[in-house]
Amino acid sequence: MTAGTPDAGHGGPLGRPAPGPAGGPAVYVQDLCKSFRVFRHRPGALGAVRSLVDRSSHEVRAVDGVSFTIQRGEMVGCVGPNGAGKSTTIKMLTGILHPSAGRVEVLGLSPQRRRKEVARHIGVVFGQRTQLWWDLPLIESLDLLRYVYRVPEATFERNLATFRQLLDLDLFLSTPVRQLSLGQRMRGDLAAALLHDPEILYLDEPTIGLDVVAKHRIRDFLRRINRERGVTVLLTTHDMADVEQLCSRLLIIDQGKVLYDGGLAEIRDRLGRERTLVVDLAEDGGALEGPLSVPHACEVRADGPRRWLRFSRDDTTAADLITAVASRYRLRDLTIEEPEIEAIVRRIYEAGLDSSSPAGSQGSTIE
Amino acid sequence: MPLREYWRLYWRLVGASARGQMQYKASFLLATAGVFAANLFDFGALLVLYHRIPHLAGWSLGEVALLWGMSAVSFALADTIASGFDLVPAMIRQGDFDRLLTRPLGAFFQTIAARLTLRRLGRIGQGLVILAVAQGEVAIPWTPGKLAVLMVALAAGAAIFFSVYILGAAYAFWTVEGTEVVNTFTYGGTTMTSYPLDIFHGWLRRFVTFIFPLAFVNYYPALYLLERPDPLGLPAWAGWLSPLVATLCCVVAAWGWSFGVRHYQSTGS
Amino acid sequence: MRVYLEIGKRAFQRELVYRTKNLAGLFTNACFGYLRAVPLLAAFEARGDIAGYNLQDALTWNWTVQALIMVVGLWGGWEVADTIRSGDVVSDLSKPFSFLGFWLARDYGRAIYYLLFRALPVVLIGQLLFGLRWPHHAITWAALAVSLALAVSIGFAFRFMLNLAAFWTTDARGVGGLGLIASTFLSGFLIPLAFFPDWLRPVVQALPFAGIVQTPADVFLERVTGWALMGALGQQALWAALLLGAAQGLVVIATRRVVVQGG
Repeated sequence: MTAGTPDAGHGGPLGRPAPGPAGGPAVYVQDLCKSFRVFRHRPGALGAVRSLVDRSSHEVRAVDGVSFTIQRGEMVGCVGPNGAGKSTTIKMLTGILHPSAGRVEVLGLSPQRRRKEVARHIGVVFGQRTQLWWDLPLIESLDLLRYVYRVPEATFERNLATFRQLLDLDLFLSTPVRQLSLGQRMRGDLAAALLHDPEILYLDEPTIGLDVVAKHRIRDFLRRINRERGVTVLLTTHDMADVEQLCSRLLIIDQGKVLYDGGLAEIRDRLGRERTLVVDLAEDGGALEGPLSVPHACEVRADGPRRWLRFSRDDTTAADLITAVASRYRLRDLTIEEPEIEAIVRRIYEAGLDSSSPAGSQGSTIE
Repeated sequence: MPLREYWRLYWRLVGASARGQMQYKASFLLATAGVFAANLFDFGALLVLYHRIPHLAGWSLGEVALLWGMSAVSFALADTIASGFDLVPAMIRQGDFDRLLTRPLGAFFQTIAARLTLRRLGRIGQGLVILAVAQGEVAIPWTPGKLAVLMVALAAGAAIFFSVYILGAAYAFWTVEGTEVVNTFTYGGTTMTSYPLDIFHGWLRRFVTFIFPLAFVNYYPALYLLERPDPLGLPAWAGWLSPLVATLCCVVAAWGWSFGVRHYQSTGS
Repeated sequence: MRVYLEIGKRAFQRELVYRTKNLAGLFTNACFGYLRAVPLLAAFEARGDIAGYNLQDALTWNWTVQALIMVVGLWGGWEVADTIRSGDVVSDLSKPFSFLGFWLARDYGRAIYYLLFRALPVVLIGQLLFGLRWPHHAITWAALAVSLALAVSIGFAFRFMLNLAAFWTTDARGVGGLGLIASTFLSGFLIPLAFFPDWLRPVVQALPFAGIVQTPADVFLERVTGWALMGALGQQALWAALLLGAAQGLVVIATRRVVVQGG
């Protein structure tokens, strides 16, 4: 499942990056594995001595046979619980880590064997750490990176002007990075990662710890650089709203394996068959005691006159249910809640894709 | 990338780190004073000892001071240039080494360009002063050859200490526990090279001659300068071997480093 | 009192976790113990007696001071300064026990750990490699225990005050580092204080730093006995009391400062 190349956005303020060093998809991963050796700690003082001599270890498979392809211009969200292998995968895509087995190609090149060359064409943002020089003003970091990446003067000027405007950098361009707020720092990091017009941008938890406004701003920016510059984006996140608002394609990874790779709409359709009908009863209809009784639905929550009725699309349609409820009770208002992607994903982590009892929307709130 | 551009980028990056350090001026000054004081006391202890004894295994105070000065200059040079490698264990622990590997430059270059600690320059000055006084004390009959041996030995000694630094940093790619052990080799190395090696047991002397060649930092060059025979029986021209040994050390260190980087297991999931 | 015992016990147990680190440190101490013993061997070849030390005395001094580094915290420790910088100190100051007592109890817990798992092995290694001089009188062990307890107090009080500098400057480590370097030299760690020139010796022996390393080493070597021993321990006790008092005074001043800032 690929989304193809999105609209080029002709006439946008952003130029397109130069074509990559080789043809092929942006990212190609085949049967990728990464194992770490974990050394056992022995108890006791003698144990410590023995550990120095005889370091018995066992292998942990952080990534266990992952395969996927990302076409140029795609924007893919990668989710999974902590320790699922998302970051390890990204680190192999950048050449930081060497795979234990399998193949990685980024723009047709091996990021391990040709790390420096690949690095010119990718941008990386780790949400938890900064790429910037901690004690220096942001502008100095950007200026240094310009030389590190050997960005031509004209490109640098053009990109800096664009990012200053889009990310509103002017406010804190001359502030030392250590004094920036998390949101400001992330904006600085994004600018730093894109200065050299990379074709691919990896983002590891880009919205972690940010407030709603800052998240919105980052997402807006990512959408733009993907649409207008055609930058391929692969992001990992714990916030499903990132994926919902940005990505057309979702990768779910758990225990080092790909559990799902496909469209967001498909997974909703396939697994999110439960909906919730929320009704507000008219108060003058007499105080209702006890749960509502309607065929093919059950009340899962009540809050005064407001009731939540869960139903499955396999059993009934929303229209039939509304008719049934309205014929029995006097209603003032009603809404239908879609299944939240977060709940679906959580269900997949817990029970796998073939779970017979799909997730509903009940009880899950985002943000 | 042409060499000249690397050179310019090096100074740009080192300059950035220096500007960062300068944000903490008082710390910088205090650390400079600390390094200075520590070495002063170190040499002071030697003076106190010599105040009580006429010689150490036949080496006079002036002769030992010559060794001390050579070792101090070489070590301080290495320490100044290679101090970026001091950061490696912390960078690995905090996951900051990842950042280096996402950039289109070698990890070695970026590490060496990560820091240039000028505060240790004080030690070079101290070493040079003591070296100057010591050579007057023992009245070395200088010849062009001896002067060359001294100059080459100072640079080669720095290169040998530099390799020790790099190997120590490379060790951190396997485990960041027990980096103290690495310090044993760097600081233990300076301690050993501050004394004439004849006082150490034969096995240790052979170890620092043939395996971990600290003897070429200052001992063999100093024997040549002082025209003393080597108790191990190496000929006088061993004093000229320092650059060769230093080159070998650097080759081993470079190999160890690149092996370590390949072995790097980034932290985190 | 029970609470301090508990704090000390916790500090002791906390150290138990870092076994690999302790082993690495032990290796370092052993290496330096050896490297610093060899010049002494050479020095005593030139003269049989230096300032009342014979070779075995000097070797024993050498391994004792290596053993004591971690016990008396000669290289420092900046936990207090770290809590001051992070602001956690505010909650520590408002706890129902003495701030000074809290850290002193922790330091004793730490010291006992290092006495058992660092000092003892280091001295045994020294014994194996060179053969040390062991006390001839049983009473020396009791005196050594007292002297060590006082040495830990003096070392702690000095370090604690260096840490408290963090209330006034962001560079407590820089200031402290300088202080530690001076104390290393003046404590008799680099060279026995008895080796110092005669005009300087009375001065360095009267300073509190002598009580951190040199006095316990002298007690172990039985270089001070009888009334001289009493005098040495008395001097240690006096400095311990004075420095702890000064440290407490600093805590009071610093607390006032925190309260003012907080208000």
